[in-house]
Amino acid sequence: MTQVEDAGVDARPERRRPRWTPTGRRRAAVAALLAAALYAPFQLVPFHVFQLTMVLVYAVALLGLNLLVGHAGQISLGHGAFFAVGAYTAAVLTHGPGLPYPLTLPAAAVVAFLLGLAFGVPAVRLRGLYLALVTLAMAIFLVPLLKRFEGVTGGSMGLTLPKPGPPAWSGLAEDQWLYFLALAVAVASFALVGSLLRSRVGRALHALRDDEGAAEVMGVRLPAYKTLAFAWSAMFAGVAGCVYTWVIGFVSPDSFTVNLSITLLAGLVVGGLGSTAGPVLGALFVMFVPSIAQDLNEAAPGVILGLLIIAVMYVAPTGLAGLAGRLIRKIPRKE
Amino acid sequence: MSFLVVEGLVVGYGEARVLHGVDLSVAEGEICAILGPNGAGKTTLLRALSGMVRARGVIRLGGTALTGRPPDAVARLGVAHVPEGRGTFMPLTVEENLRLGAFVRRGGREVEDDLDRVCSWFPPLRDRLGQVAGSLSGGEQQMLALGRALMLRPKVLLLDEPSLGLAPLVTRELFRIVQAINQEERTTVVVVEQNAHLALGVARQAHVLETGRIVLSGTAERIRADEQVAQSYLGYRV
Repeated sequence: MTQVEDAGVDARPERRRPRWTPTGRRRAAVAALLAAALYAPFQLVPFHVFQLTMVLVYAVALLGLNLLVGHAGQISLGHGAFFAVGAYTAAVLTHGPGLPYPLTLPAAAVVAFLLGLAFGVPAVRLRGLYLALVTLAMAIFLVPLLKRFEGVTGGSMGLTLPKPGPPAWSGLAEDQWLYFLALAVAVASFALVGSLLRSRVGRALHALRDDEGAAEVMGVRLPAYKTLAFAWSAMFAGVAGCVYTWVIGFVSPDSFTVNLSITLLAGLVVGGLGSTAGPVLGALFVMFVPSIAQDLNEAAPGVILGLLIIAVMYVAPTGLAGLAGRLIRKIPRKE
Repeated sequence: MSFLVVEGLVVGYGEARVLHGVDLSVAEGEICAILGPNGAGKTTLLRALSGMVRARGVIRLGGTALTGRPPDAVARLGVAHVPEGRGTFMPLTVEENLRLGAFVRRGGREVEDDLDRVCSWFPPLRDRLGQVAGSLSGGEQQMLALGRALMLRPKVLLLDEPSLGLAPLVTRELFRIVQAINQEERTTVVVVEQNAHLALGVARQAHVLETGRIVLSGTAERIRADEQVAQSYLGYRV
């Protein structure tokens, strides 16, 4: 405690920056990843381009879920429902009034945001398992609801839509165009969430995740921030759903069962809760691992998938992002 | 002139009543110690003051009624609470923790200055601004908790057992800093402590709480002098 003795004596020396600044390295990694993302569709066959497009779609959905679960410390077992609502908003608006596809994106965002706001209200009063149950109910409720309102949603048959075609000036094939649309939405979403988390709002979310009582006495209005976390999170899931509709050109209730919600949550936890890379790694997992499991054993892909999830959590309890971070830190650094 | 006034404060958790009509008054710029054994309701009293638990009765701060206001509103009125167990945001950096202390102030030049001011009160924090708060020692975490509370520029500082789990030397140093802050910044302090000796060393007024009632009030010197009373109420030597 000898250091404390000189309290107040030294008049404002330069505030020291943290010794380990990951910013530079992180920027380089993001730039490299972006360059690869821009280059990839010209090198891959259309099916692989489609797969990468779906990875981007899931990454945006997981980004939203991560905001809620990883950063605000709430839980949702029903995020597939927000994804579905975004997808259906885009589909219905294209199918009925024939809205041009770029306009379906803000529409899906707004509808999902409002629905998230409505579901954020119980989140203020419920915690943990109780909140999980309410959100799970939402996911269960959705499929029969979509089937019931056949006139609007197309019922069990779903809706088939034209995919957004590439403009002539671009010289791109359809799969490439869809890929770049998804990439643009993903980059914008990640940038938006990144700046949100670096702001005062982000600090408030982290505070309520880590210690509600302490956050509250710092002046963080818990009900407001919990509700908003739900709404933003739902909005990104809805945006992802909208891009899903563009890419697939078809929506049906059976694409959005409870299974989707569980898969999203599992994917996020495997990818890494509360980290930036988590949603991307989780999306890769959600996209590719089920089919790998299928290849390994056609009879019981579910068992293989389950075992793989258990294996990842055993090796990397903080998710793949945490594992990657640990490995990177092991690389010796030149001073 | 009383700055913080508490009259007939009643608090209960469900069926169980914890405080049965507490009266208290604290003058502006003074340090007031709340002493008492485990389970007396000391922590509950502080939680009621900062709005963390529902209370009946009167709480006034400089004429403004606090009763029934949610904690964030109380914080906005200038009450900073260092909760039981410090409430450190472990995964966040020291700097983020400190900035959260100024959450209601919405940033600006003054917050940057205060960050610097807090670092000069607690030099070890300056060296660890970018470090994760969970990696700090107990003493450093208590400094962080205090520093974070100061970031609010509080009119009233509520401290819940600052000595908990700390080495005696560290605790003494912390109390010295609390006293210095009180003198330099004229911050009113209400400190809850089990270590009566330490608390009475810095406080002007002291109150002894037992099973939800104030059983003894007076100047710190009087309470310290009244050894027999202290022994029977506190259950230990002062």
